[in-house]
Amino acid sequence: MNAIRALVLAAVTLAGGVVTAAVPGSPAPDFSVNDASGRTVKLAEFRGRHVVLEWTNPDCPFVRKHYDSRNMQSLQKEFGAKDVVWLSVNSTRRGHDEFKSAEQMTRWMREQGGAPAAVLIDDASTAGRAYAARTTPHMFVIDPSGRLVYAGAIDDKRSANPADTKTARNYVRAALTESLAGKPVTEAATTPYGCSVKY
Amino acid sequence: MPFRVLFSCRALLLATLIALSPLALAQAVRTPNVEAELVSERAALVPGERNTLALRLKIRERWHTYWRNPGDSGLPTTLDWKLPAGFAAGDIQWPAPKALPAGPLVNYGYEGEILHLVDVEVPAAAATGGPVTLAARADWLVCEDVCIPEGADLTLTIPVDARGAPHPTWSSRIAATRAALPKPLDGWSAKAIGEAQKIRLTLTARGAVEAPGALRFFPYQEGVVEPSGVQTVARDGEGYVLTLPVAHQLARNVSRLAGVITAANGLAGAKAVTIDVPLAGSITPGPKPLDAPAPKLDLGAAASTSSLSLVAALALAFGGGMLLNLMPCVFPVLSLKLLGFVEHHDARRTMHREAVAYSGGVILSFVLLALALIALRAAGEQLGWGFQLQSPAVIAALAVLFFVLALNLSGVFEFGMFAPASLASVTVRNRTLDAFLSGVLAVIVASPCTAPFMGAALGYAIAQPVGVTLAVFVALGIGMALPYVLLAWFPGWRRRLPRPGAWMERVKQFLAFPLYATVAWLAWVLGAQLDNDAVLRLAIGLVFVAFAAWAWRLFRGGGASAWAFAAVVSIFGTALLLAPIATGNAAAAQRSAKPADAAWQAFSPVAVEGLARSGRPVFVDFTAAWCVTCQVNKRLVLNNDDVRQAFAAKNVALVRADWTRRDPEITRALAALGRNGVPVYVLYRPGKEPLLLPEVLQPGLVHDALATL
Repeated sequence: MNAIRALVLAAVTLAGGVVTAAVPGSPAPDFSVNDASGRTVKLAEFRGRHVVLEWTNPDCPFVRKHYDSRNMQSLQKEFGAKDVVWLSVNSTRRGHDEFKSAEQMTRWMREQGGAPAAVLIDDASTAGRAYAARTTPHMFVIDPSGRLVYAGAIDDKRSANPADTKTARNYVRAALTESLAGKPVTEAATTPYGCSVKY
Repeated sequence: MPFRVLFSCRALLLATLIALSPLALAQAVRTPNVEAELVSERAALVPGERNTLALRLKIRERWHTYWRNPGDSGLPTTLDWKLPAGFAAGDIQWPAPKALPAGPLVNYGYEGEILHLVDVEVPAAAATGGPVTLAARADWLVCEDVCIPEGADLTLTIPVDARGAPHPTWSSRIAATRAALPKPLDGWSAKAIGEAQKIRLTLTARGAVEAPGALRFFPYQEGVVEPSGVQTVARDGEGYVLTLPVAHQLARNVSRLAGVITAANGLAGAKAVTIDVPLAGSITPGPKPLDAPAPKLDLGAAASTSSLSLVAALALAFGGGMLLNLMPCVFPVLSLKLLGFVEHHDARRTMHREAVAYSGGVILSFVLLALALIALRAAGEQLGWGFQLQSPAVIAALAVLFFVLALNLSGVFEFGMFAPASLASVTVRNRTLDAFLSGVLAVIVASPCTAPFMGAALGYAIAQPVGVTLAVFVALGIGMALPYVLLAWFPGWRRRLPRPGAWMERVKQFLAFPLYATVAWLAWVLGAQLDNDAVLRLAIGLVFVAFAAWAWRLFRGGGASAWAFAAVVSIFGTALLLAPIATGNAAAAQRSAKPADAAWQAFSPVAVEGLARSGRPVFVDFTAAWCVTCQVNKRLVLNNDDVRQAFAAKNVALVRADWTRRDPEITRALAALGRNGVPVYVLYRPGKEPLLLPEVLQPGLVHDALATL
C-alpha cells in the first residue's frame, strides 16, 4: 500500500516537476514575451542553440556593477560570437518607479554597448515567474536540447563593487564553456545575488 | 586679531573637552540612508578581557539592511577591521532578523536602529592610559524598494584602562541587545525531518510551557528553506511543529538544519532561539516559489458578509434614504421645507403636487447618478460608489454650494435676490418646478453623506445587474423623499409642528452651522486629495463668495451699481482661484501617496501579496478622507492603543488603501472582495481564508478577529 502511495506521489511530483521546475537538470520553462522592438520572442524558437537568460534592471546597483565594469557586455559579445542566444529580461512591473519602456531599454542597452540578441520587456512577469527569477542579475543557461544547465549568480563575488568582477570566478562563463564543449556543468546551481526583481 | 583669538578659544575649548571627557570618541558617519558609528560598551577597553563593541546603524524609516542570510535578495552587512597589533575582532553577533517582503519575494533583515555586536580581544599587555584607535570598513546594502550599496570608514578612539567603566550611553543599550540575541534553545528538544518538499521541525518542551505564539524559522544557509514560502505552525501533543517549505533551488548536500527561530511570545524565555540539528528523512526541491498558491487578493473564498439578498438591499437602501434626512449636510436644507409647512397652509392639492414633484426630483437625481456611474464603468473606468467625491473639482464645488446655502441660512442674503424680479415671480408661482428642483438640490447636498455612510451598501448595488442597481437607488430615493411626502399627505401630523414665530428665524440661522461644519470637512478632504495650497485656494475663494453675496445684497437693497460690479468681479475671482483645483493637479496627487502614519504602509496588491507570503497576518484598511465612517473607525478603533498593541503582539502588517482619489488598483481590490465602496476591513490570515470585518468597527471585533490567528 505504502509503496503504491509513494509511487503515485513520485509520479505526481515528477509530472509537476516537468511542468513547473526552473532548476538545473530540468527542461527550461518556455515563455512568450515581447522584445523591445515589439516582436514576440518564444524560448522554444531557439531550440538547437544555447540560450542565456539575464535578468536585468538598469537602476539596480548590482546590474550597474556588471555593466560599468563592461563584464556583462563582454560576456554577451564573447558568447554571441559562439552562436549563443543572449536574452536580457527586465521583469520590472509597469507602474514601478524603475519601470523602463521598450524605448528606454533599447536606448540604455545601446548606451551600455551591450550586445544581447534581444531585450525582453517582461512587465507582466511571465518569464520572471516561470523561472522564479529573484534578483537582478539572475542568470540562467539553457542547452540546445532545452534543458536548464545553470541557474544562479553571475559570479562568486557578492558585492556591488565593479572592481570585483576582475577577480571573481564567473559562473556563467564557466557553465557556457563547459556546456559548449559538450561537458556537464560542474557548478550548475549557485545562489543569485543582487536587487530583488521589482514584480 | 579677533579671528585668531576666537579660533584659539575654540581650539582650547575643544582640547579641554577632550581632556575632560573619559569617553570614547567616535565619528558617526551619515550616508544618504544610514547613520553609522562604532560604539563601545565600556568607556575604556580593558586589557586581557573581552570587550564588546558595536556597529550602530540607524536606518532611514521604511528602509532596511540585511541579516547574515539576506533571503531572496540583498547582501549581509560586513565589517572589515583594522586593529592595533595584538587586538582581534570576532564575528558579528547577528540580532534576530525580520522577514521583509519585497513584492512577492521575502528578505531577511533589519529596520530602524540596530546594533551589530562584535567582541574585541585586547591583549593583556596592551599599554594602558593612552587612547587607541580601532578602525573598520563597514559595508551594507540598504533598500526600501530600490537598493543602494553604502559604506563608511569608521573609527573609534578609546582609552585603554584596567577599570573600564561602563559607557553612560551604550553600556545599557549593548547589554539589552546582547540579552535579545538568539540563544540556544534551552529545555526543549528540536528535531528536523525532511518529507519531500517540506521540512517538519518539531519543538518539544520538557514540561509545561507557555504557548510560543507565532513562530518563524530563519535558516543560516541559503537554498534550504524558500524565503517567500509559507511556514505553518501546528500544535502536536506536547510540542509544536513548524512546517517549512524546501527551497526550489535546493543547495547540495544539506544534512543539517541550522538557523534562528523567532517566537512572538517567547520560546524557553527568549524571543529568538538558535537551533542546529541533523536533518533526517529526505528533501526534494520545493515548488517554484512565485507560482506557489500564496494568499492572493482574489477573494472568492472570503468569509463575506456582503452577500445581501435583493430584498435586504432594497430595505437597507430605503432605511438609509430616510436616515439621510437627518445627516448634517441634508437636514438644514430640508428643514427649510419643513419650515415652509409651518408657514403655509395651502390647499391640499397644491401640497400633494409639490410632494410628488419633490419626490420625483429626488428619485430622478439618484437614478441619474447611478446611470452616470454605470455608464462610466461600462466605458472602462475603474470607479466605485463615492466616485463623485474622488474628484477635487466636485469637492470644491460642493464646498462652495454648502457655503452659499449656509450664508443664506445665516441671513447674509436671500435667494430670491439673485433672480431678476420677473423670473423670481415665475419661480414662486411655479411651485411645482420649485419643489422638483428642491428634490434635486437635496440629492446634491446629500451626496457627500451618501458616499460616506452608505458606500458599502451602494457599492454592492453597483456590482449587480443594471436593473437591480437602479431598483436599489430608487428605493434610496423613496426613502429619502418619504418623510416629506408623509407630512404633505397627512395634515394631521403637521399640526404637531410648533406654531410659526420668531423662533423659526433663530432655528434657520442656527442650522447654518452644520453647513459651515460640512464646508470645513470638505476643505479637509480637498487637502487630502491635493495639498495645502488647494485648501488655501478654496478658503480664499469662499471669502470672495461671501464678499460677493454681501455686495450683491447691498446692490439689491438699493445700493450703487458699483456693488453689483464688485460682486461680479469677486465671483470671477473665485472662479479663477478654483480653476487649478478643477483641472486636478495629478502631480500633487501622486506626491502624497504614502500614508502619514508610519505604522501603516501604502496599499498595492503586490505589497499585500508579499506580506502574506512572508507569513505575517495582514490587515488592510480600505478608507477615504471623504468617508466619515472610515474616519470614525480610524480614530476610535484603529488608533486605539489597545488595538494597536494587539496588532503589534500578533505581528500584523498594517496596510492602508486610501481611496480618497481615484485608484484603479484599489477599485479592483475592492471588487475582488465583493465590494465597491469604503470602508472595508480585511484580515489576511496565514493558512486560513481572509476575514472581512464589519463596516462599523469596534475594538472588540478587531480583538476577536485577531484571536482567530
